[in-house]
Amino acid sequence: MAQLFSPGADAIYRLALLTGVACLAGIPIVAAGIVRSDYVTDVGVAPAQPVPFSHKHHSGELGVDCRYCHTTVETQATAGIPPTHTCMTCHSQIWTGSDMLKPVRDSFARDEPLQWVRLNKLPSYVYYNHSVHVTKGIGCSTCHGDVTSMQMTYRANAFEMQFCLDCHRDPAKYVRPQEQVWNMTWKPPENQATLGPELVAKNHIRGGERLTECAICHR
Amino acid sequence: MSGATLQPPSGTGLIGPDATLHGIGRAVASVPLTHPLNRRWWIAFAGALALLGLFGGVLCYLLLTGVGIWGNNNAVVWALDIASYDWWIGVASGSLLVSAVLLLLGAEWRGAVNRVAETVALLCTCAAGLYPIIHLGRPWFFFWNLPYPNTYDLWPQFRSPLLWDAIDIVSYLVVCVSLWYIGLLPDLASLRDRAVEDALAQEKAHGRPRKRSLLKAQAYGIVASGWRGSAAHWQLWSQAYRTIALLGVLLVVSLQTGASVMLAGSVMPGWHDTILPVTFLVNAVFSGVGVTAAIVVLIRSVYRLDGLISARHLEILARLMLCLGCASLYCYATEFFSTFLHGDQQERDVLIRRITGAHAWAFWTVVACLLIPAQAFWSARLRRSPLAVALIGVLIAIGAYADHVMVLVVTLAQDFLPSSRLAYSETIWGVATFAGSVGLFLTLLLLFLRYLPAVSITESRRLALAVVPAAAERRAVKEAEARPLASERDGTEDAPLWGVSAAFASEGDLAAAAAALSGRDDAHVHLDAHGPVPMPRVLRTLGIAGRSIRAYAILGALAGGAAFFGMCVYATAYDYVFLIGGRPRFSWPSFVVPSLSFAMMSGTIAVHLALLILNRLPRLNHPAFNIPGFLRATDDRYFLSAEAQGERFDADRVVRKLASLPTEAGRPLDIRRVPR
Repeated sequence: MAQLFSPGADAIYRLALLTGVACLAGIPIVAAGIVRSDYVTDVGVAPAQPVPFSHKHHSGELGVDCRYCHTTVETQATAGIPPTHTCMTCHSQIWTGSDMLKPVRDSFARDEPLQWVRLNKLPSYVYYNHSVHVTKGIGCSTCHGDVTSMQMTYRANAFEMQFCLDCHRDPAKYVRPQEQVWNMTWKPPENQATLGPELVAKNHIRGGERLTECAICHR
Repeated sequence: MSGATLQPPSGTGLIGPDATLHGIGRAVASVPLTHPLNRRWWIAFAGALALLGLFGGVLCYLLLTGVGIWGNNNAVVWALDIASYDWWIGVASGSLLVSAVLLLLGAEWRGAVNRVAETVALLCTCAAGLYPIIHLGRPWFFFWNLPYPNTYDLWPQFRSPLLWDAIDIVSYLVVCVSLWYIGLLPDLASLRDRAVEDALAQEKAHGRPRKRSLLKAQAYGIVASGWRGSAAHWQLWSQAYRTIALLGVLLVVSLQTGASVMLAGSVMPGWHDTILPVTFLVNAVFSGVGVTAAIVVLIRSVYRLDGLISARHLEILARLMLCLGCASLYCYATEFFSTFLHGDQQERDVLIRRITGAHAWAFWTVVACLLIPAQAFWSARLRRSPLAVALIGVLIAIGAYADHVMVLVVTLAQDFLPSSRLAYSETIWGVATFAGSVGLFLTLLLLFLRYLPAVSITESRRLALAVVPAAAERRAVKEAEARPLASERDGTEDAPLWGVSAAFASEGDLAAAAAALSGRDDAHVHLDAHGPVPMPRVLRTLGIAGRSIRAYAILGALAGGAAFFGMCVYATAYDYVFLIGGRPRFSWPSFVVPSLSFAMMSGTIAVHLALLILNRLPRLNHPAFNIPGFLRATDDRYFLSAEAQGERFDADRVVRKLASLPTEAGRPLDIRRVPR
């Protein structure tokens, strides 16, 4: 009998089978990579804002304290976005004619807030409280990165659940002495392994089983 | 290829006396190749497609509106959806168990039943597998139930039977496909060769082959993966088939455990019972046999396959139903007995509500369809009546469905909180969803009947050889004597030589010739045998008698099971410590069920890969296909091939040796030189 298939058919058939198997294994891996990529999470992407506000200039170079603008960070759930009045405390005196600051003056004149593009969003089913974190020794930069080095502000971390859980399972890795909370360039010191548990005990942080209960965040 | 029907056997025979290898192949292959009932098939297919369309419509409405359309937005959160799921997976488990157990027990007559049973198992699993997905509130997140690398840093809850079920279904689908496909593999090769014969016949009649018949042959060729029916293929095939059947049997137990412990592991009255998993398994097998029997009878009468599916086969199925019917009856009786003897008030109330409550129709359907009809098979006359077997098979399936509805709805409709006792009634959408899933099953079943052999050609041939082996051998010898030894010169002598082939009419002749050839210039000759059925008698001569695929199964299953168990332990005891209901961190018993399922799946995949790779398959183009008349290797001829290994291969000596064999001890029907 004549061959039903040419000799090349085998190569094509086997290649097709291997491609199918590779796709089966590869698609989940590629998908898992894509959902973690900055392309999806927008980490490191600075969107255009109504005013090109620079945290690096104001906070890093001029030394304005975080709490000067984000006034409720130590007392409330939200850190607070400053009203235009806060900007105008200085800018009614300096750079009063700057084109760059025109939207700020317009906002002040019209009594309408500036529409900032929000960077750090949590889903509505997540309950987050700034005050408990900063008063128990979790610094700003642990979540928001070194904001004082950001010319235009961008998202430093994707606030996915694994990001939160990493610390909630073992807060001793990240907890700082109270005076270091506002230090944007804080790195865990050499003795974090001994200091961390001490701070955890001192601040009554119940990591592990208590902080990983669902209802801690999903109330 | 028309009019290829076999005479039905007389009396209690399993197969007719005139059933030859060739006749069986023709009788079965003519259905998919020529499709004698085109118009009736299309009418049935249109009906099935309409139901499938209904399914699509219902699913769209379901996705847009939510599971409330099933009337489940009350305490009866599991109603027709989970009843349908349990029923489909029950039928699937039952039919797979029947096929696998018959194979493991070495029942020679199983050929008439096993293909249908395996197909029913596969198609029911497809229908069943959809339900757990579509009954979720947000079906598009179904993968949240599987352990996958997620950004939540969460693991699924491995202690929950809900998760067991997800792993069980995936594993079951893999094992079903594998068992079904391995059984089908030699038959697909048979279909391929019959299709080529048809194409060649057309070429003879019209001067050129029809492109369509050639494409058909190639399509079967691709799915047959280049099966050549070599003795080595057959050896591993038999082992793989049996091994996967064994894995399948273990998986059925694990699967039904997952499905039933979901109920029995709760504290709900009517569910919290040690007999429940047993009842589940018994009724699953019972309904599986019922559906298989009904479809076997349908195929037998529609395609006139009563030469292969004899009255004796139906009788065996009927006896099986009678046995399982008694077991089912026992389970019900035990439940009543133990509940009334020592059950608490809640359990007794549930039983009373089953019999007299709003869903009493379900209980009485169980009695009328599941418990009573099978008892009719005490009568020998009914056991041999195709109509009775089919009818009672369908009734059993209906009764099993009613049983699932009864068990789920009656308990849930009145739970411990009086405030949540809202009335539940079946909605038209719930019924339509089930009708749609039946449409999916029927569509796939009709496609199977249209394109694939409904009865196992291989198993039927083995039965024919086992029932009349002496006659077959005698006939073969007669045939050999009647014909002069053919060794025509066909102008291929100058082509590079692949080897020498010899054709035989029986395995006995082939084995004798192989024995005569072996031992001489072993290094320069590679012997192989090709035939339509497994050829255990030549394996020793070929030097591969000790080969076994079982180590792959054991290693694959152990590795997969251990890996899954390890994952459960790592996730639950270390990585994602999460206390629910005071369960211990290392709650190993709950990891056993999904690990077992996963082990069966990995064992199956290992066996399947070993079968293909050790046999160097898929190989679509192979020099053995150059052997003249090789199409009959999947029909009624046995071929011995002596493949040249190196320059010192002496074709003439092989030919002389074969030709000098005595007629009664391995003289070939013809000897050919095969070009490369």
